[in-house]
Amino acid sequence: MAKPAALWYLRAMTLPDARISDAELLTRMQSFHWWHSIALRPGLTTLGGKSMEILAQEEDAFLAPFDLTGRSVVDVGAWNGAFSFAAKRRGAARVLATDSYTWNHPVWRGREAFELARAELGLDIEAKMIDPPDITEKLGLFDVVLFLGVFYHLYDPLDVLARMRRITRQLLLVETHQDLTNDARPGMVFYPSDILNQDATNWWGPNPALMLSLLLQLGFTRVFYRDHPTLGRARGVYAAFTPEVEDSLVRGFDSNWLDLDVPGAIEGLLTP
Amino acid sequence: MTPQSELSDQELLARIGRITWFHSLELRPGIVTPGAKSLAVLRREEEALLGPFDLRGRSVLDIGAWNGAFSFASKRRGAARVLATDEFAWTHPTYKGLESFELARAELGLEVETLQLDPTRMDASLGQFDLVLFLGVFYHLFDPIDVLQRMRAVTGQVLLVETHQDALEREEPAMVFYPGRTLANDDTNWWGPNPPLMLHLLRQLGFARIYYRDHPHYLPAEGSRTRGIFAAILPGAEPAMSAHFGIEWRDLGAAGAMRDFRP
Amino acid sequence: MSEAELRTAVAGHRWLQSLRLRPDLVTPGLKPEAQLKAEEAALFDTLNLKGAHLLEIGAGNGAFSFAALRRGAARVLATDHLAWTLPGSDALSATQWAAHALGAGIEMSPLDPRELTPRFGSFHVVMATACFDQLFNPIQALRGMRSVTERVLLIETLQDGLADARPLMMGHGQVLPIGGPEGSWVFGWGPNLPLMTQLLTDLGFSRVLYRHHPTLGAARGLYAAFLPEAPDGLLEGFHTPWINVTSPQAA
Repeated sequence: MAKPAALWYLRAMTLPDARISDAELLTRMQSFHWWHSIALRPGLTTLGGKSMEILAQEEDAFLAPFDLTGRSVVDVGAWNGAFSFAAKRRGAARVLATDSYTWNHPVWRGREAFELARAELGLDIEAKMIDPPDITEKLGLFDVVLFLGVFYHLYDPLDVLARMRRITRQLLLVETHQDLTNDARPGMVFYPSDILNQDATNWWGPNPALMLSLLLQLGFTRVFYRDHPTLGRARGVYAAFTPEVEDSLVRGFDSNWLDLDVPGAIEGLLTP
Repeated sequence: MTPQSELSDQELLARIGRITWFHSLELRPGIVTPGAKSLAVLRREEEALLGPFDLRGRSVLDIGAWNGAFSFASKRRGAARVLATDEFAWTHPTYKGLESFELARAELGLEVETLQLDPTRMDASLGQFDLVLFLGVFYHLFDPIDVLQRMRAVTGQVLLVETHQDALEREEPAMVFYPGRTLANDDTNWWGPNPPLMLHLLRQLGFARIYYRDHPHYLPAEGSRTRGIFAAILPGAEPAMSAHFGIEWRDLGAAGAMRDFRP
Repeated sequence: MSEAELRTAVAGHRWLQSLRLRPDLVTPGLKPEAQLKAEEAALFDTLNLKGAHLLEIGAGNGAFSFAALRRGAARVLATDHLAWTLPGSDALSATQWAAHALGAGIEMSPLDPRELTPRFGSFHVVMATACFDQLFNPIQALRGMRSVTERVLLIETLQDGLADARPLMMGHGQVLPIGGPEGSWVFGWGPNLPLMTQLLTDLGFSRVLYRHHPTLGAARGLYAAFLPEAPDGLLEGFHTPWINVTSPQAA
């Protein structure tokens, strides 16, 4: 019979250097519901709802335009930590992973899964249990704020977006489900109960025109947009820069990106 | 889909009246079978049992299907293939389970397969199904361990067990035996397992994660958790199939999970 | 205060609302007197305000607060966060002049509706006109208003997305004559009826009544949202064109 989970966990906490066997790691990996597929050892990859291929494409789409070397990064809604780990591997000096919902979820047990992956990968990443609606300036100011897959899960995304602005020094990266994408006027759709994808945690679907308005309203001075690399216009990625952004942060946007705050940019996103 | 049946409302009502129903099923607008379980109760059970799963394109095996409520629900939720099985209720002289199932299936026009087979005789030759529904059966078996092993053999991804339970005050695995008619005056009730027992039994059979929730109608607030629902997930199961476990569920493998069960 | 002083003060302020301070003296406001009167009648003719405690959010120059007092309210607290706190705004001073000229004993505060909590007290009636159109975060503001409402919440708002059956809101920007010399760019929202119904019921209002704006039609909407503890009699004044959008027949 397998050992109780509590004992493995305790051992991992007290003896961080003790390498567990591949077989034991596999058993522990299988004891969690994973969202991110993460290669922990050669041949040992967590079986996540998102495949490695999709995550690789997302990482490239979200992070490649930016030079993270030496920067501070906060990952809001980190879940299993794939983007926190990616930011660290891309040279970030400091990475703080935060979450609450998935980390406290009685089935997903995201915090424990994150801890297992972090320990196994040996990456120096901080973790803090905090819900986005509770984030304030007290968290500190970060060069880059990753706000991926969170906006539309919030009943009050406007409040939280304003909170994200207050912890952003240079770049806020927002990835979100969208709706009304064929409307040039700013708007967002409300999803009562679980009508969007049978998921009661989905609340709002904004369109690019709205995201642009909101981000400018919050004091960002430039907003770049691209479609999601695999899901297209159904989800959007927004890079919003503060006036303090250093030129060296931006490596260069490829042709998938679009400067939203130029005349005709929003109209250009509409399908005829 | 249009109903396959050409019965008049009158004839349909007459046929419904000849059967003792367990599930209330709305066969036509306004025509509902008079089941011991009401429509509202079944709707809540369906949400609690099937809500966590994306069944679109997947295969489902329903053990002890009786009148078929959960087979039909699975099909309606997009399952590509549903196999309903039963023997006790389907061959029972009063329940006339198979006749009832076929009447409902024809009325609802749902493509659901049937197989008259008792779970004690099932094995891997039946094939493997993405989701196996083992609802309200465990405690009716004299040898539930053998049958649970058989259920493991036909499970491709997830086994869903709904059962009466007992011995909740104990943290160690235990199940209570009910000789004769000691439980609810019903001589088909044999065992009352507790959650630790289900956890360890299912783990022993090779399931990697065991999630639990209280039955929506037998809540702790009402005195005791006399029924529980266990979702046992095999290593390698597709995460996308079981992505909607809500906050009512908990991972029984988590540290301290068992302590909460004590009354 | 002499009449000459009053006329100088009226001329020296920028006005959001056209208030009749004397039979021959109307402040030159953005919102015409006729529209204000029509909105006042649509909102207040339905309710008996005698003895009521009323909180107004987004009072502007106080037109509705003055009206509530005239209609017998025992306590009126007029508030406006945006218009009364923007640097360079003279809207609060204008309102103080108007209250003085009308001899209206209302309380005034620049409080932000997002910061309202039950500790602030409670009011029989809480009202907000131009509600969503001037709020960056109406979700939070509604929650704040709900937390101090004892019976009924009255809302007048810009609407949009009316052709869509799904609950949604559209963003709107406008320049208001407050703040700096060129006015201020204000970002707000136009919600549709399904969204308003949803947000209000999510907040615990059990009955929501709706009517189109009395002069502008469906472009703007009026909502009366009642808490479960509000007595049925409170709804008696709500006749056609008000409809109950939370009753099953409304669907």
